[in-house]
Amino acid sequence: MDLQKLMDLPGTLAAFTYTDRGELQAHMLREGTELTPQVLDLLTRSCVANQAIAAMEARGWEALTGQSGFQPLKGFSVVGLEWSVVVNGNAGVVVKNRDANYEATFNALQSA
Amino acid sequence: MHIVKQLMAIPGVIAAGEYAYRGDRFSYQGALTDEFARMASILCRANTLSVNMQSEIFDSFAENCGCRPVQGWIVRGDKVTVCAVGNYFSFIENRDELLNDVMTIMRAKVGDVQDDLLANLYARLGGDTKEALY
Repeated sequence: MDLQKLMDLPGTLAAFTYTDRGELQAHMLREGTELTPQVLDLLTRSCVANQAIAAMEARGWEALTGQSGFQPLKGFSVVGLEWSVVVNGNAGVVVKNRDANYEATFNALQSA
Repeated sequence: MHIVKQLMAIPGVIAAGEYAYRGDRFSYQGALTDEFARMASILCRANTLSVNMQSEIFDSFAENCGCRPVQGWIVRGDKVTVCAVGNYFSFIENRDELLNDVMTIMRAKVGDVQDDLLANLYARLGGDTKEALY
């Protein structure tokens, strides 16, 4: 995983990878950001949880409604007041809302 | 123009709607049945509750870290994406630039979600539980 490539996305404050259990593995922080490795470590645990919940919902939705196109899951994002966290698999980025390009970020995480 | 109508005018938006934070009612337009829209509203409310709970934990860990109050969330599926901002949701196709356009419109139209979101989400039907919560 090339974290520097993720850091080059518009508005990125942090890029990180984590284990299947949600433990922070590697990270890069933009200079001047108030985010800390400790916050990222908490964030990565929620990333694992949210992706698991979303995968369950996607599976259940497809089974119940007969609609397709939800699986396999390609990512999850939580949009906060000032920044959003965008994750897919075992990698994620934190992007400033005003500069966020969600589509490019999801695509970058998909191909990373 | 109302946000749901505006979203539905964009090619690639499958359905859009509004759910009450209390979970007792919803409205929608697009390719969903009433029952599917009801399920979507429950799903959106549950996810919104969940990410707000997480943001409260972040905030107690790192005050004013910039995540609270949560404005919304996105589930990116293989061909379909579900977006929620405030108490509005939309199901959209994964087309180029559509997600960014939809998020821009939803954020602009809904405005900043305020701190009373959790009080509304936890409110009992017909009651004001803000006092009980805090």
